[in-house]
Amino acid sequence: MTATAPAAAPVLPETTAPSRGRAALSAAGRWAAALLGALVLFCLLLAAKGADPLAVLSGMVTSTLTSPPTLEQIAIKAVPLVLAALAVVIPARAGLTNVGGEGQVVIGAVAAAGIGLALDPRLAGSLVLVLLLAGGALAGAAWAGLAAALRLTAGVNEAVTTLLLNYIALDVLLYLIYEPWKDPAGSGQPATRPLEVAARLPLLAGTAVHVGVIVALLAAAGTWFALRRTAFGFRLGVVGGNPEAAGRAGLPVRRLLLTAMLVGGALAGLAGAVHLAGVEFKLRPGLTTNIGYLAFLASWLVRHRPLPVIGAALLLAGVTIAGDSLQLDSGLPAATVHVLTGLVLLAVLGWTRRKGSDR
Amino acid sequence: MSDLITDVLSGGVRGGTAIMLAALGETLAERAGVVNLGTEGCLLVGALAGYAVAAETGNPWAGLVAGALAGAGLALLHAALVIWRRADQFATGLTLMFLGLGLTSLFGAAYVGKAAPGFAPVEVPLLADLPLLGPVLFQHDPVTYASYLVAPLMWWWLRRTRSGLLVRTAGERADVLPLYGYRAGLIRGSAVVAGGALAGLGGAQLSTAYAHAWFEGMTAGRGFIAVALVIFAAWRPLRVVAGAYLFGAMLAVAPVLQARGHALNQFALDALPFVITLLILAVIGRRTLRAAPQELRRVFESSSTS
Repeated sequence: MTATAPAAAPVLPETTAPSRGRAALSAAGRWAAALLGALVLFCLLLAAKGADPLAVLSGMVTSTLTSPPTLEQIAIKAVPLVLAALAVVIPARAGLTNVGGEGQVVIGAVAAAGIGLALDPRLAGSLVLVLLLAGGALAGAAWAGLAAALRLTAGVNEAVTTLLLNYIALDVLLYLIYEPWKDPAGSGQPATRPLEVAARLPLLAGTAVHVGVIVALLAAAGTWFALRRTAFGFRLGVVGGNPEAAGRAGLPVRRLLLTAMLVGGALAGLAGAVHLAGVEFKLRPGLTTNIGYLAFLASWLVRHRPLPVIGAALLLAGVTIAGDSLQLDSGLPAATVHVLTGLVLLAVLGWTRRKGSDR
Repeated sequence: MSDLITDVLSGGVRGGTAIMLAALGETLAERAGVVNLGTEGCLLVGALAGYAVAAETGNPWAGLVAGALAGAGLALLHAALVIWRRADQFATGLTLMFLGLGLTSLFGAAYVGKAAPGFAPVEVPLLADLPLLGPVLFQHDPVTYASYLVAPLMWWWLRRTRSGLLVRTAGERADVLPLYGYRAGLIRGSAVVAGGALAGLGGAQLSTAYAHAWFEGMTAGRGFIAVALVIFAAWRPLRVVAGAYLFGAMLAVAPVLQARGHALNQFALDALPFVITLLILAVIGRRTLRAAPQELRRVFESSSTS
C-alpha cells in the first residue's frame, strides 16, 4: 500500500498553482497509481496462496466481459447497488454516515415479501408489485429512521447504530423464514413461498434484465437533480458543511438530517424490494449478498457523487460476478474478491484526494 | 434454575472474553482519538491466524501470538490511512472489515473443519469449588484467566503512567503534544496498533479456546458490538468488562436453553444483544457522550464528506 505514495506524489509540484489540465492529469495519475498498487498487492496475495495471479486475473476478465449473459448479470447486480449507494450519498451530503444499507435492504425485502405473501393471489399482480415496492421503501425509511431518531434524541452516532441495526434486520429475516413465513412446500433451505409471476418485475424487451434498471437510473438522476439543483439539496450541503452555521442561518437542521436519513433508507429499502421482485422472488438466508456493504464502498469510491455512483456500482457488480467465476475456474473462495475490493477502496480512500483537502 | 443461571453466566464469561478484548482494544484507540470500525476485521484475522498457527505448530500459545500480530497488522493499515493519509475513519474501518473477510476466506478455506490443538478448561484449585463464583469464574481456559488482568492493567496504565497520560492527551488535546516535543500521530498510531493486537488476541481466544474451530465470518458482529460497548461503557476499561460479560451471557442464553431441550427460535435470541445495546445507547447516549474524549467527539460529530 505504501508503495503507491511516492509514485503519486511527485506529479504535483507544491509551490506553483497547477493549471486545470495538469491537475486533472495528476488526479488521473494518482488514481492509476492507487488502482495499480491495489492490483499488485492482490496479485502478491494470490501468489502467496499458491495461485497463478495472471491466470486468475485474466480468467476473471475474460469470463466476465466476453459473454453477453454475464454482462446482463452485471447490470442486474448493479441495480440494487446503485439504489443502496444513493442511500449513502444523500445522508453523506448532510454529514451523516449511513452504514446501515445492508439492514435497510434486508428490511425492504422482508416488507416486500410480506406484502407479496399477504396479497399475492388476491389482487392483480401489477398492483401487488407497486404496493410491495412502496412497502419496501417505507420499511427501509423506518429502519433508517430509527438510527436518525437515536442520533437526534440521544446523540448516538448513526454509524454505530446503523451497523447494529444491520444485525437485527438479519435476525428478523431469519426468524421469519425459519418459522412463521416458511413455505411448507419448499424443500432444502428454508424460504418463503415465491412471488406469483404477475407480481414480479417485468423484463426489458429482448433481454434478461428487469425494469429495475430504469428505476435505478431514474433514482440516480433524481438524486443528482435534488442535490445539485434544488433548495433542499443546497441546504443539505450547508448542514453537512457546518451544522452550527446552518442552525444560526435559520435552517431546520434536525429536520434536514432526519429527511436525509429517511430518503436514504427509503432508497435502500427500495433496493431490497427491487432485488426481491426482480431477482430472488422469495426470502432466503443470504438474500442480500452484502449489497448494503458493497453499496457503502461504491459510494465512497466516487466520494458520494450521485451520477458516478452508477459507474462504481457497475464496477463492484462486475468484480462480484467475477468472484463467482473465480470459484468455478480456480477453486478460490468467492469472497476472495473482497480482498481486491477492499484494497482498491483503501487505495482510493488514502491516495486519490485533491491536494487541497489533504492538509 | 440456579444451574441455568450458572451456565448462562459461565458461558457469558467464556463467550464474552473475545468481545471484552476487542472492546478494550477499541477503548485504547478511542482514548487516543481514533475510531476503528475495523475491529470486526481485526477479530476475524486474529481468529484465523490463531487457529492456523496453532494447527501448524501444534502450540496454541504460538497461535495467540500470531492472532495478536495479525490484528495489529490490520490495525496498522487503519492507522496509516487515517493518521498519515487522513482518510475517513468510518469508511476506512468498514473497508478493513471487508478486507479481513476476504483475506480470511482466501487463506482460511484450508482450515475449515481441520483440527487444531486448543486451550482446555483448567480448574483453579479451591476457588473452582466456590458456589456460583467457582463455575462462573474459575473453571475456564488459561486465556480467559489471563484476560481478567487486561482491564485492571489498562485502567492503571491509562491513569498512572506517563505513556498512559500521553495517550489520553492525544485523545483530549492533541494540539498540546507538539509543545512538549511529542508527535500526536505516533502516539495515536501506537494506540490503534496495540488496540488491534488486543482484538486479534480476542479473535484467537474465540477460535482456539471458545469455538475450537475456524469458519468463515465466525466473529458474527462481535467487533461491532465491541465498538458500541465502548460508547456505553463511557470509555472506561472496567465498565467495558461488565458490558462484555453481559453480552457474552446474552449470547449464551440460546445454546443453554436449547441444550435443555427448550424449543425456541434461535434468531429472536440472536438479535437480543444488538437490541439491548441500542436500548442502552438510547437511554444513556447523551449522558455518556459528554464523557467522550474531546478529539473523538470531533470524529463523531463531524461530517463524513471529506
